[in-house]
Amino acid sequence: MPEIRVTPLGAGQDVGRSCILVSIGGKNVMLDCGMHMGFNDDRRFPDFSYITRNGRLTDFLDCVIISHFHLDHCGALPYFSEMVGYDGPIYMTHPTQAICPILLEDYRKIAVDKKGEANFFTSQMIKDCMKKVVAVHLHQTVQVDDELEIKAYYAGHVLGAAMFQIKVGSESVVYTGDYNMTPDRHLGAAWIDKCRPNLLITESTYATTIRDSKRCRERDFLKKVHEAVERGGKVLIPVFALGRAQELCILLETFWERMNLKAPIYFSTGLTEKANHYYKLFITWTNQKIRKTFVQRNMFEFKHIKAFDRAFADNPGPMVVFATPGMLHAGQSLQIFRKWAGNEKNMVIMPGYCVQGTVGHKILSGQRKLEMEGRQVLEVKMQVEYMSFSAHADAKGIMQLVGQAEPENVLLVHGEAKKMEFLKQKIEQEFRLLPDAKKPRLLHGTLIMKDSNFRLVSSEQALKELGLAEHQLRFTCRVHLHDPRKEQETALRVYSHLKSVLKDHCVQHLPDGSVTVESILIQAAAHSEDPGTKVLLVSWTYQDEELGSYLTSLLKKGLPQGAT
Amino acid sequence: MDPECSQLLPALCAVLADPRQPVADDTCLEKLLDWFKTIADAGSSLLLLQENPCLVTLLCPVLKPQDLSPRVLAFLLRLAGILAAQEDCFQHLQQGDLLPRLFGEAGPLGGAAWTAPTVRSGWIQGLCSLTQHPSALCFLAHSGAVDTIFSLQGDSSLFVASAAGQLLVHILGLSMQAPAEGHPSLQPAHWPACAQKIVGHIEESLRATATPQVTQALNVLTTMFSHCHDPWTQVLWVHLSPLVACLLEKDPVPAAHSLVDLLLSVARSPVLSSSSCGLWDTLAQTLSRLRASQAGPLALGILKLQECPKALRAQAFAVLLQPLTCVLEATTQAPGLPGSVGGTADAPLTAGMLLPSKAACVGLLCQTLAHLELLQPLPQRPSPWPWAPLLSAAVTILRLCNGSATPTSDTGTHLCAFLAGCVRVQRAALDFLGTLSQGTGPQELVTQVFAILLEYLTSPDSSPTVLKKAFQATLQWLQSSPKPSGGGDLEPHAQLFLRELLPVLPKRLCSPCWDVRDSGLEFLTQTVRRWGGQAGFRHALLASEVPELTEQLLRDPESYVRASAVAAMGQLSSRGLHIIPASPGHPGAQQSLLEELLHILSTDSEGFPRRAVMQVFTQWLRDSHADVAADTEHFVARVLRVASQDLDWEVRAQGLELALVFLEQTLGQPSSSCPYAMTPPAAAPPSLVAQALQPFCRVQLFDFAFRALFDCDRPVAQKSCDLLLFLRAKTASYSDQQGSSSGPDVASLEAALQRWQAGDQGQPLGDLEPEAVVAVLRSLDLEGLRGALAESSDHAEQSPLSLLQDMLATAGILGENEADCY
Repeated sequence: MPEIRVTPLGAGQDVGRSCILVSIGGKNVMLDCGMHMGFNDDRRFPDFSYITRNGRLTDFLDCVIISHFHLDHCGALPYFSEMVGYDGPIYMTHPTQAICPILLEDYRKIAVDKKGEANFFTSQMIKDCMKKVVAVHLHQTVQVDDELEIKAYYAGHVLGAAMFQIKVGSESVVYTGDYNMTPDRHLGAAWIDKCRPNLLITESTYATTIRDSKRCRERDFLKKVHEAVERGGKVLIPVFALGRAQELCILLETFWERMNLKAPIYFSTGLTEKANHYYKLFITWTNQKIRKTFVQRNMFEFKHIKAFDRAFADNPGPMVVFATPGMLHAGQSLQIFRKWAGNEKNMVIMPGYCVQGTVGHKILSGQRKLEMEGRQVLEVKMQVEYMSFSAHADAKGIMQLVGQAEPENVLLVHGEAKKMEFLKQKIEQEFRLLPDAKKPRLLHGTLIMKDSNFRLVSSEQALKELGLAEHQLRFTCRVHLHDPRKEQETALRVYSHLKSVLKDHCVQHLPDGSVTVESILIQAAAHSEDPGTKVLLVSWTYQDEELGSYLTSLLKKGLPQGAT
Repeated sequence: MDPECSQLLPALCAVLADPRQPVADDTCLEKLLDWFKTIADAGSSLLLLQENPCLVTLLCPVLKPQDLSPRVLAFLLRLAGILAAQEDCFQHLQQGDLLPRLFGEAGPLGGAAWTAPTVRSGWIQGLCSLTQHPSALCFLAHSGAVDTIFSLQGDSSLFVASAAGQLLVHILGLSMQAPAEGHPSLQPAHWPACAQKIVGHIEESLRATATPQVTQALNVLTTMFSHCHDPWTQVLWVHLSPLVACLLEKDPVPAAHSLVDLLLSVARSPVLSSSSCGLWDTLAQTLSRLRASQAGPLALGILKLQECPKALRAQAFAVLLQPLTCVLEATTQAPGLPGSVGGTADAPLTAGMLLPSKAACVGLLCQTLAHLELLQPLPQRPSPWPWAPLLSAAVTILRLCNGSATPTSDTGTHLCAFLAGCVRVQRAALDFLGTLSQGTGPQELVTQVFAILLEYLTSPDSSPTVLKKAFQATLQWLQSSPKPSGGGDLEPHAQLFLRELLPVLPKRLCSPCWDVRDSGLEFLTQTVRRWGGQAGFRHALLASEVPELTEQLLRDPESYVRASAVAAMGQLSSRGLHIIPASPGHPGAQQSLLEELLHILSTDSEGFPRRAVMQVFTQWLRDSHADVAADTEHFVARVLRVASQDLDWEVRAQGLELALVFLEQTLGQPSSSCPYAMTPPAAAPPSLVAQALQPFCRVQLFDFAFRALFDCDRPVAQKSCDLLLFLRAKTASYSDQQGSSSGPDVASLEAALQRWQAGDQGQPLGDLEPEAVVAVLRSLDLEGLRGALAESSDHAEQSPLSLLQDMLATAGILGENEADCY
């Protein structure tokens, strides 16, 4: 087993400020760089001192990978790159690259607005940080350098979310970020191929939960909005500028259309246009249904949802308003809340988690008399509802992903310790212990039909019974090497090089001058035309296909000067 | 403690002690500890316990740790530590036999809860807090805790392991300071038992064959020598340095990184470096024993020391420069000739060190370049600083990276293969090249610098990040170019370079990558700001397509680029370099830049361009730009009308900033003695003041400012407060004379203010009389409002009372929202 070192700098056994450092094959990769919304001091960012004490950041880290645009996965990025001083590449998908700065800017504005923080990253810093980003496509293998490669897989969850495979030589790690194994109204389900990584680092938010269908939650949401509007009430939905807002907009837009409702729906910030622009632009990242209907109608072009003007809040009659920020802790959403809170006909729907201290958290925990600034007390008579629209894989989904990727080891992060312990046992039970008789398994064997009888036997047994000789199928490859020395010396150099690189494999130098690594045979021959070049004849069996291709690519890079 | 909080505390303690009650938010317990720490720091912990017996009751469930969640258990351990930090409170808890059962074998230490890293971490942090007095040391000695801390140094959780090391340092420091022990002996053998035990453990670890153990010992020592500068640390170093020196004899040197950190912390310690204690020899030996990549940080650390033997500095500098020396040798016709960095005669490094692999070569070069970049601005950098060879090396590396260097040896050929197209090295070399602009080099080399920069700026292979760095380095070199003696702003050489660069810029402004377009625009803005008045530059710029392209970028699809284009156009226009393009397709579409920017301010869906427009407008107003000066009042009125309606609070705040500039220009700066400013003199006649305020009424400034006073975004309200306070100061003498005013205008304005305060938006005020404004200004409690706004909206939310209320309110509410993170 190669040494893969994982250091969670945040979100090891909690949710928030996701940041995991992975050392694999001598490379150091940071997976996500999130912030914790519940803190206002140093604790809101991951503890980077572990990296900084290992020398200069940019020298130590080979790259940073961001899985998706949520702030608990990317909120510390401008701080890390522009204030702590990381100057290397940052990888993320194209939608994440487009949307990430919008949310970072939103977060910055709220932080400065609400707390008047002066020592905070600026718009210029967000821009400079985004200039370090290298955008990747799904399933595109990206060479970070000669040895390190990464590949993105679809993760569902939010637009542009990706799982990443990190590979150095034959060692690999898959990091899931947040993912969802069931498609929702606008996104598809996460998918990964059978990449068999040495380690799968998976989120475990719902490690012990089997969630009800999102459809039920959507139905509840629409019912509640409809009831409030029918009785002439106003509905406030505090959201962050992008993400859940668009999902809920699609939901309401379709419902309004179907029910022929007339009450106005407003979106309170100027960000709608840009957000919807990106949803339109990255339509290929949405689910099949949206893509199919795209030709007739773009789901993100809303007929019923209009831009909000501050004066509209005083208009009589029912209305639905999406307003930022999502936790009712500052700005527009808080202002509207204060205006509408006293009327029991009105309703506020919190579609996401709120940190302690915010008005959102207080009303969700049932507090109805809130002390506002200046010792004013606000009595909340409006209806308060919570609707979870978060899109994480549940226990079943996590197991499904483990089954898909077939990793050697699984590491659970982004969840609670107790729940992780439970899931750990489930995974061990499912994938490590005795096979379940009811579960389909892959078997290799030969079916012999003899005397109207069927028998499944091992291939060796079948060959023996039938008196057949086994054919050996070998892959071959020729590698040209610039080396003026004799063939024997070249072979010796190849042997020394492979011996030093492949420490966990059996490398042998045979008396006939050839070199073997497991089933792989390497022979050095002179080039017919160029005496300065040697030809390495490499062959291997299909069982060692992966090692064979790796070895060939290794030899193609040439031999180090010191190898004798 | 606040009585309201004191009332709620028992209920909260009951919730925390109840294993069936979930803790709502993982930040709550942290914040609760912060609060207890503040209380303990401010007064007596014993009193706190006596006044709130529920706290002692709360600590008792720890005795049955299996019932508690690891988070609550860790919280209780930390709380106990905070309380027991004061000796009388410690004794109180000891009497109840609580501490041994919390931190000893009987506590979580021996149970299943110990498997949770959170609990181990809480145990260490609790001990760290309580270890503040001699009684705590006795407790540690008797409870066997020190042995547990030793074992936790190798904990699977890095945070626990690191905290364990820090706790050992803390205990050692305290035990050596214990007053009962008197002056520390020169022999560690006579030190307090606890200190002896820790030192013995460190010695044992240093002798260990396993690298992790050596690393632990080195890290503990590093932390200690960095934070403690008492005389006994010198004794300790003398005692341990032979063991440290032994590490250098091993091959390879174990835990090299930690060893470097330790030696540097010792060298920085005022107690140790003054007496040396053989330290300099050890440093010299380490420099020669370590691999180049390991020796680099040590060499940099030595060169940053304030006091250090000359010979060691020279050795360190040679080590630091070795990789660059190799590069120069590999690409020069005659290796080792003058021109190589630092002279190569006794440099032991051979090119082989750079060449074992591409990764090693790239890593070493990047590290060296970064180290030199850090060292150069420091006053203690080696003198003379070899500007010329360093410049030569940086240029050569950049050439190797873009394939334009000619290798003269096998090493050079290998370097070419390794560095060709390597973005990482290009970035590091360009950063370093930019820093080198601070010095002087021979003209020939400066020519080479501009040539390589131009190559990078022109090359289609340059990546966006490399281009950005190339633009930055270029700007630095242009700025540092000496001014010619005959006048003009740029020396002819740089002038020529800028002329060559201008044809390149359009290509970058048309790049498909937004970041390249943006970097190009940022570069343009800077150059125009600096050399916009220089004839040669102006001529070249106007002859190029740059102004026209910049104008087109005002409509770029990317908002960052639009904002940069706004800034660039603002600058071009200020310098008279904006020419309205004759557009053949749209003959009627010609409009002034002012109109175009106003259009952006009114219609752009993004905040960045709108904010950029406001910045340009404010600057134009300050500089009396021709388009503004033509009719300033009209300009201000139009801008404020749009800005006051903006949904982005930063645009509204900038609108108020522009209003303030207008006020200052009209009424004079607060302490201005400008003879031309129209300032109402002391005891000014009412008509003069009214006349002075008329322009502000006409541009609807007061409507905007009064409404902004109750803006839902705090910075806007603050800005408005500042503006109105300024205005009130200016009109103070007038209002003194007037007495109270109660005309119909005043009443309607006051009514409007009340509506706005209540959150209503309402209709604009319409025409206001200056007298009414002055009267309302006087009646408003602006200072009080400013004070309330300065408290930040966190003030109420983050109070301890709010925290306790939230935690209590959440108790019993079970749901999935706990894990539902945005």
